[in-house]
Formats: sequence, structure tokens, C-alpha cells
Amino acid sequence: MAAGSALLVGLVEEFVSGQQDSKAADTATGLKAGQFTILQLVEALGLHLASSQPQTRARGVQLLSNVLQQCHGDLTEREVDVLLAFYENRLKDHYVITPHVLKGMNALTKCSVLPPGSAVSILKSLFQDVHVQSLMLVERSCVYNILTQLMESRESELKGLGADFVFGFVQSVDGERDPRNLLLAFQIARKIIHGGYDLGKFTEELFEVTSCYFPIDFSPPPNDPHGITQEELILALRAVLTGTPRFAEFLLPLIIEKLDSDVQSAKVDSLQTLTACASVYEHKELAEFLPGLWASLRREVFQTASERVESAGLAALGALTACISRSVLNSDSEDYLNVFLDLVLKDCQHHLCEPDLKLVWPSAKLLQATSTASYRASHRVAAAIMPSLIEQYNSRTQVSHTSQLGKSSEEDESVLLDFRQSLCSIVFSALSENSAGLQITSLRVLTALSQQTGETPDLSMAQGDSATPSQKHSQQAVRQRCLTALAAVSSQPSVVQESTPVLLQVLTTSHTGMCHYHTLFCLCIGRPFLNMSYPVIIDRLTVCPGQVEVPQMDRLLLELEELSCTCDHPFSYTSAAKCYAGLVNKRPAGECSSPVLDLSLVNCAWLSSLTDKLFSLLSDSELGSLAADGFSLLMSDSPDVLNRGCNADVRIMYRQRFFTENSAKLVQGFNSAAQEKKSGYLKALSHIVNYLPRQVQLTELPALLPLLLEALSCPDQAVQLSTLSCLQPVLMDPPSALITQLEALVGRTLTLTTSPAMKVRIASLRCIHALSRFPEHEIMPFRARVLRALAVPLDDLKRMVRSEAVVARNEWFLLGSPGGR
Amino acid sequence: SSLKQQNCERLQTAKDEDEDVADPIDDREIFDLIRSINDPEHPLSLEELNVVEQVRVRVDDQENTVGVEFTPTIPHCSMATLIGLSIKVKLLRSLPERFKIDVHITPGMHTSEDAVNKQLADKERVAAALENSQLLEVVNQCLISNARTS
Repeated sequence: MAAGSALLVGLVEEFVSGQQDSKAADTATGLKAGQFTILQLVEALGLHLASSQPQTRARGVQLLSNVLQQCHGDLTEREVDVLLAFYENRLKDHYVITPHVLKGMNALTKCSVLPPGSAVSILKSLFQDVHVQSLMLVERSCVYNILTQLMESRESELKGLGADFVFGFVQSVDGERDPRNLLLAFQIARKIIHGGYDLGKFTEELFEVTSCYFPIDFSPPPNDPHGITQEELILALRAVLTGTPRFAEFLLPLIIEKLDSDVQSAKVDSLQTLTACASVYEHKELAEFLPGLWASLRREVFQTASERVESAGLAALGALTACISRSVLNSDSEDYLNVFLDLVLKDCQHHLCEPDLKLVWPSAKLLQATSTASYRASHRVAAAIMPSLIEQYNSRTQVSHTSQLGKSSEEDESVLLDFRQSLCSIVFSALSENSAGLQITSLRVLTALSQQTGETPDLSMAQGDSATPSQKHSQQAVRQRCLTALAAVSSQPSVVQESTPVLLQVLTTSHTGMCHYHTLFCLCIGRPFLNMSYPVIIDRLTVCPGQVEVPQMDRLLLELEELSCTCDHPFSYTSAAKCYAGLVNKRPAGECSSPVLDLSLVNCAWLSSLTDKLFSLLSDSELGSLAADGFSLLMSDSPDVLNRGCNADVRIMYRQRFFTENSAKLVQGFNSAAQEKKSGYLKALSHIVNYLPRQVQLTELPALLPLLLEALSCPDQAVQLSTLSCLQPVLMDPPSALITQLEALVGRTLTLTTSPAMKVRIASLRCIHALSRFPEHEIMPFRARVLRALAVPLDDLKRMVRSEAVVARNEWFLLGSPGGR
Repeated sequence: SSLKQQNCERLQTAKDEDEDVADPIDDREIFDLIRSINDPEHPLSLEELNVVEQVRVRVDDQENTVGVEFTPTIPHCSMATLIGLSIKVKLLRSLPERFKIDVHITPGMHTSEDAVNKQLADKERVAAALENSQLLEVVNQCLISNARTS
């Protein structure tokens, strides 16, 4: 096409001679549009590509490569073939051209139509003609990308290269420093290892070229745009090093060497790498290094100053043990696991029995690490140390021993079977010891024991019962005993933390709850830490119909009363009070064993003394607000306790009675209180009025109105909210008393539409809406003012407020308007 | 035209109850203001008659503009102006002053749309219309039963 070639020539000229980079994009567009072919482009470049100036040749190749980057998907196999030959040839050219050549080759390797055999020839020329480490960073990345792409699309071909491929790769990577490139290189190495490429005689070389970076020490520069972390590099390298057992002979000595380092992160990395390779290797790889590895691990755990190192070490030991446990025994070879464990036991066992406790813990941890690695190991270790530990305990009580016992028995219950009897006796005696740590561990063991199914005759014997036939004891009885023991022990906070969940769990799952209540209440008495359990007790109480036979009820009630009045912690005393109320309410009427419990009506002494107390507190600057809330609690349908739904005895009209008996007091208190103390009274009042039945509200309102209006101006948001919500239903059908107060009502509710609290704004807008129901002639004078004022909340931040304002304002618009209400 | 099933109320999210998060005025909010306006002749709402649809509501809270297109039930509908006026009045009463409110007929849906649109866009003519007590009465009646947006 004449037009096409004219265009082409022009573009080429402008790019190469005119140095206009943008022409590359135009050329790509033209190619895609079919105005010319790629080979025509090559031809058009011919002159420049043959120039004696390297820069010109470079420019020519650059144009071609740029276009290829855009258009590689559109090429035919023949075109790719020709281009590849050209590019491979150009690898031998001047070094200034090489970057562009590599770019072009990179593009070509992405072609799906890459002819067979070209992968091999590309790599051959690359490895032959290019010294990768002399290239700049971007070009090196290019090479790695070429490798990656070819490995992905032409795997079988590359494998045909044999070990030469690995060698070529090793040479390319040797000396690489850039972290991005290293990540690429590690990924390629990993693929080589896992992909089944033939390492040939270059195994060690491949190991060397990657392991020289171990352990990784990399601090990314601040504001690094690439975001490569040390962790990424560590993991990528680790995947390479631990990828094949063929590296074992090189890796394990390296690990032992690096474990010796003073740098903590190097130690940790080595240990983690060891853990990783242990999951891949078999015993035969580890065999000759086991003594050395064990010595290092032991040293690290014995001497450690860092928890990280210790836990990495223990994990490594576990992994090693697990690996060895997996090995298959030959009939004529020794048991490798036993050999290894003997080694471990020899070094650790005797420390457990030493009076000097310094090495007990590390030894214990090491032993635990091995025993948790596999079933066989746990049996072997337990069999070796349990007898001596138990003997130790019986002769000399030591916290650590039992903890060690506890730890190992936690792990594997079957191990316990052999030692159950001795364990039980130990545990029960440990429970009576003073040390909290000991008790906790004993508890854990005890819990494990008591949860096991089947006979546990040993427990009863440990209790010192006479020799009754063990079969008679039921599961229930065993549990009961354990629970009692638990209860008896729970006198310290840390112990309670352990025992409470168990107890609560028992409570919630038991069907015949009574004996457990007993236990639980015994537990609660005198133990202030168990406040957390009150909600559960309340829960159980409230759903339990009828009478609750609780032994020591009186004592419990006294304690609860004491608690609710004297305790500082609000949750505790609230819960105690609720519990008290629930219990008291369920007592049959008339039954009273102490002057405190008179329960014929809600008017009981306790309740009125509580009320009096609340009253007296209303004027207290700190407690006033809380006391007021107490009224809310009294009046409301407390959902958890004093509620018909909870089988409570709800006497009729108790609210009215409460109100009539106490409102006068409230009003009086309010009137006589100092200005700043008035808010407590207002709050209490608004609570009380809120819960009154409608009729009562209507009749009582005139007397209370001044107070309620006062409440609207109170700065306390809770008071405002409470007053607004109790006013609103009254406004809907207003008594005449209210109408006389219209000015105040309108004024104050309008002010509240700009309150900082969203709920107050909404409540006040609802009141204003309700005000529109007043007789028209009364409220018309206010219309203009209200409409003006309501324009503000129309633009409120919150949608919920805006919608209330819309409703109210539209209603006021219709007032006195034709077609309106 | 077919009856539209009453759409469910706007779902409230946690953000709606968060004091510190501002809720921008969106198309849905505007639509909620006008959807239950009554038609002057039928016992149905403008939404039920497809006279207004949410897709034809556009609000720009930042630019202070609101645009509503409405589609009269038939091309010669003589109530078109009245309907447009009801929509405009509802919005005037319900939106902050900063908004410029544009109410017009969906293009191509009415024979006198230009004339109607011109009337609705003219502030003075709207004010004058609302001083006519008969007109105001009809408008108020269209607006009355939806004074409480559910």
C-alpha cells in the first residue's frame, strides 16, 4: 500500500532522526490498523539499523521494540520467527543497543505463537552473549522476566536444555543486589526446584548463589514505592532453600552456623528455616546433623533472653521430632526416634529433679515440645518422666513440677490413663496448697479428669471415702465433688477466673439445677470477685418457675443487700440489687425470717428504704443523676427481673401508688433545692411521669407542669429527652392546662431543635408537630414564628432530623390555610 | 396506568444514627418528599400513577440545585400545571432556602410543556398563584394526606 509505506517512512524518520518518542505509539496504532505489517516496519528501518552510529541503530531497535510491546499479540508465527532471529543477532551488537534488544525480546516471549525451539535458542544466545550482572537494574529485570515467561509457556522445551539452564540462571543471578530483582530470582529458583528441572551437577551452585543471602538483612528505604518488606524476601528465600532434600547437606550446616550468630533475627530466621525444612525432609537427611542441631537448640532454649528465639527453637524441636517420628523402621536398623529422644532425655531429665530450679523450666519446655510432636514421642517422654515427677512431688512439693505435669497431661489425655490414680491424689492435695499457680494448673487437670467419660473410681478414693464399690458412683456425683472442690478453692481472683467459666458452663447445661445452685451460692457468698456470675444467676433465677429452694437464702440475701449498698462498682451493685429483687419477689407472701423481708406489697420495707435512699441521693452532686436513673429502673418494666414474664409477682397499680406517694416529695425537694441541684429532681420526675399510664398523666399534669417546663430548659440532655418524650403523647390531646402554657412550650421546644444531640432535636420536632394539633385560634399567632424557625432544621446534618422537620413544617403550613385541616 | 406497589421505607444504616456523620441530601430523599403527593383527580399518589419516578429526580447538594421531571398521565392533561405546582410547593416548604428548585415536564410528554414549564419556573407567577385561595386550596389538598412522610 503506497499510502501505508509513505506513512511508515514518515513515522520512522520522525522517531529516529527527529527524536520524537511519541511516534512509537502512532506506529503501533498504524500497525494495529493494518496500514502496514511488522516486517514492512523492519524493512523501513533497514537503513537506520545498518548505520555506523550505534546511537542510530539503538534508536531503530527502540522503535521496533516499543511497537512490539504494544502489538506482540497480533503477530504471526512467521513474523515472530524472523524477528527473533534479528533480535538474537543484535544481542551481539554494541552495549548501548542491548537494553532495547532485551525489551523487544521480552515482548516476543509473550507471544503465544512462539515457534518451537525458539525458547531454547533465545536462552542460549542470552546466556552466551549477555553478561547479566553488567546490565542496569531494569535490563536485569528484563532478563528475569524473559526467564519467567519462558518457564511458564515453554516448560518442556526448557527442561530439554538440561542442567545448562540451571547453570545459565546461576551465572545471571550471581551478585544480584536489588531487592525487586532478588524476589524475581528467588521465584525462578523456586520454580526450578519445584518444577522438576534437572539440577545436574549444579545443585551446589544453585544452593550457593541463593544461600549467600541467608539470613536476609534488609531495611527498606523510607517511602519505598515498591513496598518490598524484609519478611517477603525471607519467605521467598526460605521457599527456595527448603524446597528440596538435595540441599539438606548444605543447608543444615549453614543453619547450625547461623544459629551461632549474635544477631537475634538471624537466629530466628535459622530456626524458622529449620522448622520449614523438617517438614520436607526425612530422617536420612537429618541423621548426621542431629547431634549438632540438638546441641544448638538446647543452647538456645537454655540460654535464651528472648521469647521469640525460645518459641522458634521449641517449634523447630517439635518439627524435628515429628519428622523423625515419620520415618519408617527397617527390621535391622535402630529406632531413630528413640535414639533421638534418648539424646534429649539424657540432657533434660535430670534437671527436672534438681533443687536448683534454674533449668527446670527450659528442660520442661523442651520435653514438652518433643512430646507434643507425635503420638509415639509423647508416650515415650511421658513414660520416662512421669514416674520420676510423681515421685518428686510426693517427696517434695514444688510448684513447677505440678505445672509440668499439668502441661503434659493437658496435651494428651490418653497419656493420663496410665497415671490417673497418682495424678488424682496429687491434684487434690495440690488444690489445698496456697499457691495460686498450682491451684490453677490443678484445676485444669481436674477439669480434664472430670470431663472424661467412664468410671473414675480413683476420685472417690482420693476423697478419703471408705471402700465403697466404685461402680455405684455416678457421673453426677463425681461432677458434684469436683464442683465442690472448685468452689472451695475459688477464693483468689486468678483462680476464680479459671473456675467461673467451668461452673457457669455446668450451670447452664444442667437439668436438675438445684444442687448446683447450692454450690454456686455457696461460692458467691463472701467472694466479691464473683460478681461476674450474677447475670447468669439472675438469668437462671428468672426463668425458674415458682419457688426457688435455696439453702442459706437469708444469708445470701443479707450479703446481696450489703453488696448493693456498699459496693463501689456499679455493675456489681446493680446486679446484686437485681438479684436481690428477683429472689425477694419470689418468696411466698408472708414468709419472713428477718425484719428486712416484708413482702406483702411492693411497698415493702426494702423498697421504701431504697426509695428513701434514692431520694436522699438526688441532691448529691455526683450521685444525683444515678439516683434519678434509679427511679427509672423502679418504674419501668425491668426486662430481666421484676417482670411478669419472669414469673414475678406484679401487683396492680404499683406505679400509681409509687407516684402518688412520692411525687409530692419530689416537687417539694425540687422547690427547696439549690439551683444547680434541681436537675436530679427533674430527671427523676420525668422518669416517673414517663411511665405513668395515660389517665394518670392527664390528671396529675397540672401540678407537675411548671416542673416539666422547667425541665425543658435544663441543660442536661437526658432530662430534656425524657421530658420531651413524656410530653409528646400528652400534646397530641392536650388538656386545657397545657394550653395556657403555649408560649413557654413553643419557645422552649423551638430552642431545642438546635440542640447538639440528635435525639433531642428529633424529639423536640415531634413535639412541635404535636403542637399543631392545638386549637387553631390558639396557635395561629405562633405560625409565622414556627415556620421561620423550622427552616433551620430542614438543613440539618442528619437525615432523620430533616425528615421530622419536614413533617412538622408542612403540618404548620396547612394550619389556617384553605384546604388545610 | 398500572398501580405501583408501595416501596418499602428507606433502610436506616448505622451512619444515619451517628451524630458526627453528615448525611448528604440525595435523590431518594427528594423523591420521598414528593412521591405521596395526591393526584388532584384520582385517589392515587403521583408515584402510583408513575407521574413521578426516582430516576427523574436529580439533586446536587453541593451546587444547591434540585431538578424534578414529572410525566402527566396523558399528553393533554389539563392538570399538568397544578401537579407541577404541588410538587414545587411541597419542595419549597420542605427544602432549605439555599436550593434552586426546577420542576418541569418530562420532555416530549405534554403538548403544552413549554408553557407549563415557563410558568413553573417563574417565581412571581408561582407566588401569585398561591395567593389565589382556590388554587391554594387544591394544592393543599394534594399535599394534605402526605403531611406525614412515613
